Amino acid sequence: MRLPALLASLITAAWCNHAAARTWRVAPGSGSLQQTIERAAERDTILIEGVIAEGTISIEKPLTLIGKPGAVIDGGEKGHVVLVKADDVTIRGLTVRGTLVSNLYDYAGIHVNEVHRPAIEGNTLDRCFFAIYLSGVQGARVIGNTVIGDDALEERMANGIHLWKCKDATIEGNRIEKHRDGIYFEFVTDSRIERNEARKCVRYGLHFMFSHRDAYTNNVFEENGAGVAVMFSHHITMTGNRFATNRGGSAYGLLLKEINDGEITRNEFTDNTTGIMVDGCNRIHVEHNLFRMNGWALRLYANATSCTFIGNTFSGNTFDMSTNGSLMLNRMEGNYWDRYTGYDLDRDGHGDVPHRPLGFFTMLVERMPHALVFSRSLFVSLLDRAEQVVPSLAPDALKDDRPLMRPPKPQA
Amino acid sequence: MLKVFKYTLIDLLRNRFVLSYAVLLLAIGQGLFLLEEDPMKAILSLVQVVMALVPLIALVFTVVYIYDTQEFTQLLAVQPMTRRSILLGQLLAMCVAMLVAQAFGLGLPLLVHAPGSASLLLSLSGSALSIIFVVLGALIATRLREKARGVGMALVVWLLFVLVHDALLLALLFTLSDYPIEPWIVPLAGLNPIDLARIIVMLEIDLAAMMGYSGAVYKNFFGSNMGMLVAALIMLLWALVPGWGAMRAFQRKDL
Repeated sequence: MRLPALLASLITAAWCNHAAARTWRVAPGSGSLQQTIERAAERDTILIEGVIAEGTISIEKPLTLIGKPGAVIDGGEKGHVVLVKADDVTIRGLTVRGTLVSNLYDYAGIHVNEVHRPAIEGNTLDRCFFAIYLSGVQGARVIGNTVIGDDALEERMANGIHLWKCKDATIEGNRIEKHRDGIYFEFVTDSRIERNEARKCVRYGLHFMFSHRDAYTNNVFEENGAGVAVMFSHHITMTGNRFATNRGGSAYGLLLKEINDGEITRNEFTDNTTGIMVDGCNRIHVEHNLFRMNGWALRLYANATSCTFIGNTFSGNTFDMSTNGSLMLNRMEGNYWDRYTGYDLDRDGHGDVPHRPLGFFTMLVERMPHALVFSRSLFVSLLDRAEQVVPSLAPDALKDDRPLMRPPKPQA
Repeated sequence: MLKVFKYTLIDLLRNRFVLSYAVLLLAIGQGLFLLEEDPMKAILSLVQVVMALVPLIALVFTVVYIYDTQEFTQLLAVQPMTRRSILLGQLLAMCVAMLVAQAFGLGLPLLVHAPGSASLLLSLSGSALSIIFVVLGALIATRLREKARGVGMALVVWLLFVLVHDALLLALLFTLSDYPIEPWIVPLAGLNPIDLARIIVMLEIDLAAMMGYSGAVYKNFFGSNMGMLVAALIMLLWALVPGWGAMRAFQRKDL
């Protein structure tokens, strides 16, 4: 008696599920997208073709929106383009454009507000104001999107991928260009940023504020106005990223401000005005990074404490290091410095005399920036040599006692 | 003049000193590129070579060569030709010899290992320095009668350009650091052809640092066409004025 009833209810449930997974099609001329969304049941799929221009599209139930090749949602500059207000929404393969540019409101191409597990995958965000904006979202997946901003906006440009008060987000394989900040994190915890490329952003390629326990790995940050900034955060892991060609008076490959317990390993810093700027950080561990052809490879302020620099390679930089005071509470050991002129009699791979990375010329330029014209002149190299032998200007504690004789092998 | 040029050049190209200079440059250039994995770093080391060695060799070689060929010059002077064409022919031949040696010793490794704007600028400024210091050498050799004094003077002149000028400027920068002397530093450094050449090459190589707060000023000036024109003009003056002096001395000289 009970078994048939159970069976019947199971079948009914299965049938209902089947009915729920219905697929709708929307194309220009065959129904409106907004009406289809309202008619669709939870967990339905909507296939989109052609150009949809209906103003703001609002999604208030769990749905999957899939764009066929060439599918465009054009917001017509009326506000947000796609507004997600339900859990478990997936948006895939769409081109989104036509956000309203505003000085009062943060209008976005895809705006996701106070929900769980949205997935935004393989979309193209074409000249949006904010492109992808997540606020109060948990478990977001933003994967493989192409986000190109509009540099005609100039000072009114906004962020590419913007996260505010989020948790457990995955930002992976996106390409971001010509926005204010490429990726912006504020109050975002326990999240991953992997294999993204941020180029030509007018401010930072990646901007972190008050975001803890996050990891960013194997990303590329090139030609951004001011590089990458990580501020007021703790337990950030930065691995295998490439910071290149971030040039300008206040441009940094990586700017660290008030960071505690960070890990910076196996990154590459090439051709930046400043490779890493360390300001007021504690217990940062910097290991096996490559600093190549930067203006200043490492600017370590005297207010940084208990930071360790191990096994890094400094090669072809105009200046390997600089600091702004005489206090040095950090440890440097076993780095490779191409300027090292010592010897290794016991052949253990480490030089027998310490290396002092702060040369006379570095201190001179720190005091008198215009002395930069003497860069690499014979006289200045002689003075640098003298400073190595008889240190007088640089902080005494700032030295590498076991400099490597050869650059460490690149780590996989 | 062309005959003098031709025979001096033939003599120079057989000269062991010129040959060994070319081989030395090639050894340094090639060696640096083989030693350093990063071609940019080899260029950095080559900059120091070019800015110190090239002027020294050009200067000393010219002085020694002019003294050593004094008898040949006397022989030429009794021929029906002007002194002007004798000296011009000789100077031209020496410049060409130095440039050929440099093209072979520096240009070749640069072209093979690191073709690019930095290499081009380095070769160009090296060539300019060669010409300038050959002319300066001629000025010294025509003004001073004794070879020993001439060589000594050449070394003093080299030291002045390569070390003393920078030292004085730095001292000036230190002592007058309370005054706004910054705008004067680049023009003063630019008066020295070696410094000028170095700054132009550095703007390409140390570009990342130069884009910083103070360097941007230089970048704006030397990076512009106007700046390059001014730099070329200063270089030209450094070749023409001592050349004119050497010519005057040679024409009035009792050979």
